[in-house]
Amino acid sequence: MELPVLNDQPASKGGCSASSCGTTDDQLDHLTDEIRAKVQNHPCYSEDAHHYFARMHVAVAPACNIQCHYCNRKYDCANESRPGVVSELLTPDQAVKKTMAVAANIPQMTVLGIAGPGDPLANPEQTFETFRQLSQDAPDIKLCVSTNGLALPASVEELSKHNIDHVTITINCVDPEVGAKIYPWIFWENRRIKGIEGAKILIEQQQKGLEMLVAKGILVKVNSVMIPGVNDKHLAEVSRIVKSKGAFLHNVMPLIAEAEHGTFYGVMGQRGPTPDELMELQDSCSGDMNMMRHCRQCRADAVGMLGEDRGDEFTMDKIEDMEIDYQAAMEKRKVIHQAIEAEMNSKREAKSATLAKQVAEEKLTTRPVLMAVATSGQGVINVHFGHAKEFLIYEASPEGVRFISHRKTDLYCGGDETCGDGESVLQQTIRALAGCETVLCSKIGYEPWEMLEQAGIMPNGEHAMEPIEEAVMAVYKEMAKAGKLDEIKPEQRATA
Amino acid sequence: MALKIINTCVNCYACEPLCPSQAIYKAEAHFLINPRKCTECEGDFEEAQCASICPIEGAILDKFGLAINPPGSLTGIPPERMAEVMAELQAH
Ligand code: SF4
Ligand code: SF4
Ligand code: SF4
Repeated sequence: MELPVLNDQPASKGGCSASSCGTTDDQLDHLTDEIRAKVQNHPCYSEDAHHYFARMHVAVAPACNIQCHYCNRKYDCANESRPGVVSELLTPDQAVKKTMAVAANIPQMTVLGIAGPGDPLANPEQTFETFRQLSQDAPDIKLCVSTNGLALPASVEELSKHNIDHVTITINCVDPEVGAKIYPWIFWENRRIKGIEGAKILIEQQQKGLEMLVAKGILVKVNSVMIPGVNDKHLAEVSRIVKSKGAFLHNVMPLIAEAEHGTFYGVMGQRGPTPDELMELQDSCSGDMNMMRHCRQCRADAVGMLGEDRGDEFTMDKIEDMEIDYQAAMEKRKVIHQAIEAEMNSKREAKSATLAKQVAEEKLTTRPVLMAVATSGQGVINVHFGHAKEFLIYEASPEGVRFISHRKTDLYCGGDETCGDGESVLQQTIRALAGCETVLCSKIGYEPWEMLEQAGIMPNGEHAMEPIEEAVMAVYKEMAKAGKLDEIKPEQRATA
Repeated sequence: MALKIINTCVNCYACEPLCPSQAIYKAEAHFLINPRKCTECEGDFEEAQCASICPIEGAILDKFGLAINPPGSLTGIPPERMAEVMAELQAH
């Protein structure tokens, strides 16, 4: 079956482009050694690992048992994909074949996830058949699954039988009144249940499922969608509760709502959070919890490094023709994984040494600064300002350099008043960079230079091809020397 | 006495395993209900199972040809609002 792809912007152009390794990898700092060992090679959880390892998703689970106001069921599960994406639906046998084909051809692929296109646990036969075969035939692949949580308690026993070490639950609320504004209905015990009553059952099942997984020793990550005016104030409490129950990571993602997706929020004009609002919430939760800041909201059939999609190389018709000797592939994969780990460790050590030196040279007492970086990966500044599809945001302070988030240049249309016809791509980009004082890129044109300067963001092309963290630190020091950090942060003029 | 699935079905497979009469099947373009097998769930469930899980308004009709889940009933989007926004998008 050929399914159309609507609005296929996610990922396909990207390439691994986040870089926040070594000392700046704050999201894993609070973990116990045991959990850290489990996740350090997982590209979705470790900012560091996702330069080196890849994940893939297979779309075997079409049905869903609830409705979310940010989802249109014509497309894939919006908890796990950007809205408006349609994946190629596979049978479990096809999915297993595809996974093994990818694993043999992209040895860096360490993780297979089932995330849709509906709710994996609302399709238990397909999901568990896929897991069963893979646990048996490809034991070197880690398995993970995401769910809205409604069918989770009923699935924990079966999940614990397979090679699964991570489950992601999307939890947007712990209060049914808030829930009723996010979930119009659920399907439960052979009835459609609307409103608060439905939301209450969903919340109970999510929390119960979380507790049961933790009791079984299965790692749980919690995803939340930040919906301004609906659950934004509430998510700090969600974070606290899921942490106290044993979730190891909390990932707050921005609501993406556009009228053309035909979702309730899109059509009703509900806006998504601004980059500042998202960052503020992530910061306010991070005292309690490991926050995941580099999630790329990839699609249900994504293949490759985070933010990259090589799915086109592995469509079903191409895979049918591939001959795979998985035993041989597994040998090869093992050797490559060991080499990658060795490289990761040595780079990590080298980097913390350089950064420690930079920080030690002269202890500053200046305020922190946000900087945007244009990169396509490998940890260096290597993208022309005008070609950047996303920017990585770093915070420089006397303590060092810390990865904060990534911002898409096209994502933050805030609805009617900000998204009038006249707004150019450049203006949108500048708006996406709100809060940053400098943008580092390999090159930049004259016109954008001027506009950025006017907006209070200083362009900088002097560190092309240099490692990100070192360049950010160097620029920070220049700013400190020039006395720019003695003043309080200049008012940004880029609010239009 | 039978329900009917029409062409707005998005092939999400949710209804098929729930049918107590095995009346639902995947056809070329979308799912269909075999009218000779459909019992409207009588004797098995209070409510027609397919129409209780289907996420698409208007995709399933009752025996009179009326949408069991009319516009707005599942998404909560008032039909006028939907029409207005769609017209606006068309105009662009
Ligand atoms: S759980 Fe996923 S597929 Fe189901 S309604 Fe929510 S976003 Fe859509
Ligand atoms: S009404 Fe009941 S019996 Fe008829 S197709 Fe739907 S689920 Fe099957
Ligand atoms: S539940 Fe509705 S949309 Fe899904 S397959 Fe059945 S009729 Fe089609």
